[in-house]
Amino acid sequence: MPLTRRTALLAGAATLAAPQLATAQPGPKRGGIVTVHINAEQRILNPALRASTGVYLITSKIMEALVDLDAAGKPDPMLAVSWASTPDGLTHTFALRPGVKWHDGKPFTAADVQYTAMELWKKELNYATTLQQYLVAVDTPDDHTAVFRYSRPMPQDLLLRALADLGYIAPKHVFAGTDVLQNPANTAPIGTGPFRFVRYERGQYVIADRNPDYWKPGLPYLDRIVWRFINDRAAAAAALESGQIQISPLSSLSLADMDRLQKDPRFEVSTRGNEANAVENTVEYNCRNKYLADVRVRQAIAHALDIPFFCENFLYGFGKPATGPIPSTSKAFFPATSKPPYPFDVARANALLDEAGFKRGAGGQRFGLRLLPTVAGEDVPLFATFIQQSLDAVGIKVEIIQLDAAGFLSRTYKDWDFDLATGWHQYRGDPAVSTTVWYRSGSPRGAPWTNQFGWQSDQADKLMDDAASETDPAKRRALYADVVRVVDEGLPVYMAIERQFITASSKALVNANNNPRWASSHWADLSLA
Amino acid sequence: MRGWAARIGLGLTVLVLLMALSAGWLFPRDPLGLAGRPLQWPGDNARFWLGTDNSGRDIAAQIFHGARVSLLIGASATAIALVIGTGIGALAGYYGGWVDDVLMRVTEAFQTLPNFLLLLVLVAVFGSDIRTVTVAIGLVSWPASARLTRAEFLTLRNRDFVAGCRTLGMGDAAIMLREILPNALPPLIVYASVVMAGAILLESALAFLGLSDPNIASWGNLIGRGRGVLRTQWFVSAIPGAAILLTVLAVSLLGQGVNDALNPRLRRPRA
Amino acid sequence: MPLLLLALRRLALRLPTLGLILVGLFLLLQLAPGDTVDAMLAQMGGGDPALADRLRSFYGLDATVPVQLGRYLWRLVRLDLGQSAIYGKPVLDVILERLPATLLLTLSSLGLAVAGGMALGVLAARRADGWPDTAISLLGLLFYATPSFWLGLMGIVVFAVKLAWLPAGGLQEVGTGLAGWAAVLDIAWHLVLPTATLSLIFMAIYLRVMRASMLEVLGLDFVRAARAKGVTEGRVLVRHVLRNALLPVVTLVGLQGATLLGGSVVVESVFSLPGLGRLAYESVVQRDLNMLLGIVFASTLLVILVNLAVDLVYARLDPRIAR
Repeated sequence: MPLTRRTALLAGAATLAAPQLATAQPGPKRGGIVTVHINAEQRILNPALRASTGVYLITSKIMEALVDLDAAGKPDPMLAVSWASTPDGLTHTFALRPGVKWHDGKPFTAADVQYTAMELWKKELNYATTLQQYLVAVDTPDDHTAVFRYSRPMPQDLLLRALADLGYIAPKHVFAGTDVLQNPANTAPIGTGPFRFVRYERGQYVIADRNPDYWKPGLPYLDRIVWRFINDRAAAAAALESGQIQISPLSSLSLADMDRLQKDPRFEVSTRGNEANAVENTVEYNCRNKYLADVRVRQAIAHALDIPFFCENFLYGFGKPATGPIPSTSKAFFPATSKPPYPFDVARANALLDEAGFKRGAGGQRFGLRLLPTVAGEDVPLFATFIQQSLDAVGIKVEIIQLDAAGFLSRTYKDWDFDLATGWHQYRGDPAVSTTVWYRSGSPRGAPWTNQFGWQSDQADKLMDDAASETDPAKRRALYADVVRVVDEGLPVYMAIERQFITASSKALVNANNNPRWASSHWADLSLA
Repeated sequence: MRGWAARIGLGLTVLVLLMALSAGWLFPRDPLGLAGRPLQWPGDNARFWLGTDNSGRDIAAQIFHGARVSLLIGASATAIALVIGTGIGALAGYYGGWVDDVLMRVTEAFQTLPNFLLLLVLVAVFGSDIRTVTVAIGLVSWPASARLTRAEFLTLRNRDFVAGCRTLGMGDAAIMLREILPNALPPLIVYASVVMAGAILLESALAFLGLSDPNIASWGNLIGRGRGVLRTQWFVSAIPGAAILLTVLAVSLLGQGVNDALNPRLRRPRA
Repeated sequence: MPLLLLALRRLALRLPTLGLILVGLFLLLQLAPGDTVDAMLAQMGGGDPALADRLRSFYGLDATVPVQLGRYLWRLVRLDLGQSAIYGKPVLDVILERLPATLLLTLSSLGLAVAGGMALGVLAARRADGWPDTAISLLGLLFYATPSFWLGLMGIVVFAVKLAWLPAGGLQEVGTGLAGWAAVLDIAWHLVLPTATLSLIFMAIYLRVMRASMLEVLGLDFVRAARAKGVTEGRVLVRHVLRNALLPVVTLVGLQGATLLGGSVVVESVFSLPGLGRLAYESVVQRDLNMLLGIVFASTLLVILVNLAVDLVYARLDPRIAR
């Protein structure tokens, strides 16, 4: 392969970005096929319409966003080369990369950015509809400049961090004028990325081939990526071990298998590459329930859970106690001195419950609650069982109501027909994206994973609103620290456990897991040793 | 051969019954409570004869308490299925005509629809509570007994003794219940064992998919939970699987024994 | 031609039943908590209510139940199975894509179950009450009593992981571009474990029935007559006994078509096969009504076809049966 200076630089950068690979790499090998495990079929393969890690796992190799994240977690220029913002946060100008072509040969221009932002992000893309609600227009003074104009201040750090996930660009010439949801490009994506879509065989696999005209010269290294749908975890682990697949990202294997494969020298099983994908296990309280309306009861329930024990014995150590809604991996916002607000303390739990006036009755029981677990991962049912067992020890009888995903969403967030619920809170880089909605009052009924708990704090609302439009990063950080303090005390939701996704990958891969959102990233530099 | 098979069936059934009855006495604590460290192998710890599962629960306790659950679910679902099936079959067979047509259409509908699929829908709609699951299993298991009953009633209703009852002025209901039904019962009783075996297997399949009641100690739940640790701590799934196997075997052998006792010469093929 | 007419007549007779099933399921699913938009939101990881409302009107879920039912029936009458909410494609297309896997699985399982059940049943009947009979009957009972998903999982652990003889799941090797006979063999290889798993319980049933039926026929007059005439044991077996003994087995196959399809749900789930069974499960969980009803429609057609085939085989086996 022609060793231009650019290629050498890239190869060098690639090696630098993966410090764990201590052995001398002779330089990434060209060619080969990598097969990836994915455990649920995705309805729509368009990250400009659907924001979820499952969609990114496939489409981020085919379509690109304005920025990605580099190994240090800073914005990595992709379709946007540089950016500048006015101090008032109302105007953000992006210089776009020249010479980029869509997979169908048409040139990538600012018109694509304008169309995607105004028609897709603002109107259809979940979480972006809220993020971009004050976006007024995207001006395109020339083919390679896009100017985002807002009616309320948009902090630059929030925008850049969010755009890694919510900034994918779709081709205007394919989508404009069509019924966006029905467009066939939603299942046959056309992008600018290192791999071109080839085929989507329903229920079986998706294939993408090397894009020879990719704008990063010399990349990608692989010839082809195949994503295989395997929804049985045991079968997926078997496939990894037999070499049928090389990567199983996003904690798609069972905890026991991940623990076992960690000790297998052929595989790397770790949270490396998932630092930006933090998840917290929640205990959600329906504050309308006559027992849970008292904050002391809610706090007592939190005190009754031995989180370190749970992480050690049930999660095989893949998790730790959370200190609040902002996980410790968020360097920009994690309140550095915070500790878990409700350490395990059965005596305190009992005392609080007695204080709230709910004494033990016959048989040692105080009252009963219904717990609805969501449908996600293996840890949720384990945590639900653990909650049931732990609360039994303080005299609360918990009945677990098992529903499927649609049933859970509908009963919890629409009908408010629950007492306790447990699920996931996914932190997406910045508290304003999908975290503050858990606490902000005024969320319409039926919106999932938002404040449907019947809890309101004017103080918290004001803090969150101020923080969302505060352009000074230091001030924003302080505001969010205050938010955490207030919500940890009011406790409509107890963010109990902090985890990151785990990727199990073959050590034969080079440049794997080399940025904080690797599974959702472009993989242009991925190769087989 | 048949003799000892039936005896084994009886023996196993008695064993399972004993497990169910003694559960509360041998394992007085809540079988679903946190008993110890999770995933201990059988024999590692003297306290846990069969080890612990991935939620730290005593497997032996769950097996014994699970016997209660399986037998109860099996028996109740079977009872529901038989009551519905016999009722529909009796009405269809006795009255004939359009009643028969309509009821047979309904029966056919239930038989054409894959029963596991209907079960999935019922559970999705009505929830995973154990009572709901039991009724749902009963609701998908009745068609075969309806056909069986109908066949019996069709044959028996034209018999002399029935005509005699009619001349005596007995009402339809009385004839059906007191005269015909007792004669139609033997094949049904045998069939009950088939239904019960099926009910236990259906509940375990539901639990395997995570759709059964998580608040009870059912064997199927245990298999489902052991799915995640299948490669290393396979005993979590293997032990309840063996328990299900033995129970279904017991019920089937017992039913076969009853069948052979009632029909010593005619070995009629059982559907 | 007469075959086609017969099939159509059968279908026509089953129409009221089919209608009953479809309308019944439709109404039943209206009672389920949450709809397809909720399932979509769950998969997306969140969304605002404006988006949810827009999606609901897009899928026609904002109309009242009678209106929705009316729309569905009107489409059905014109043989339009509608659009799948999960896939955004016509239901018919998705079903046709997934049908081959299920057909392969169920037909091979059926074949294996019938062949195995027949062979073992004959063997058991020949040496009735001897030890082969006892062993085979016990084996049959064990097959019957074992939960299929458990057997499937154990099969994966033993044959796919420990011994690495068979693949752990899926229908075929992906991305390697096999074609022709190599592809066929690859698929066959992937189907070994699933077929074995699904067929065992039915094999147990057919085994028992075959044995009982053989014993019954072996004692009949015409068999004794044939033996007296000096016909060899082998010919007696094949030409006289077998044909008659097969009748109950064939009847059973007809009755159990639907159960076989139901059993494929779990097996397809364990082995990640892209078939209709798993698709049906997905449609229930994702509340994709059009898809679920479409699959039920397809499965009913399949059951009718199976019954038709069964009747034909029956007529061939027993010439006394008038059409």
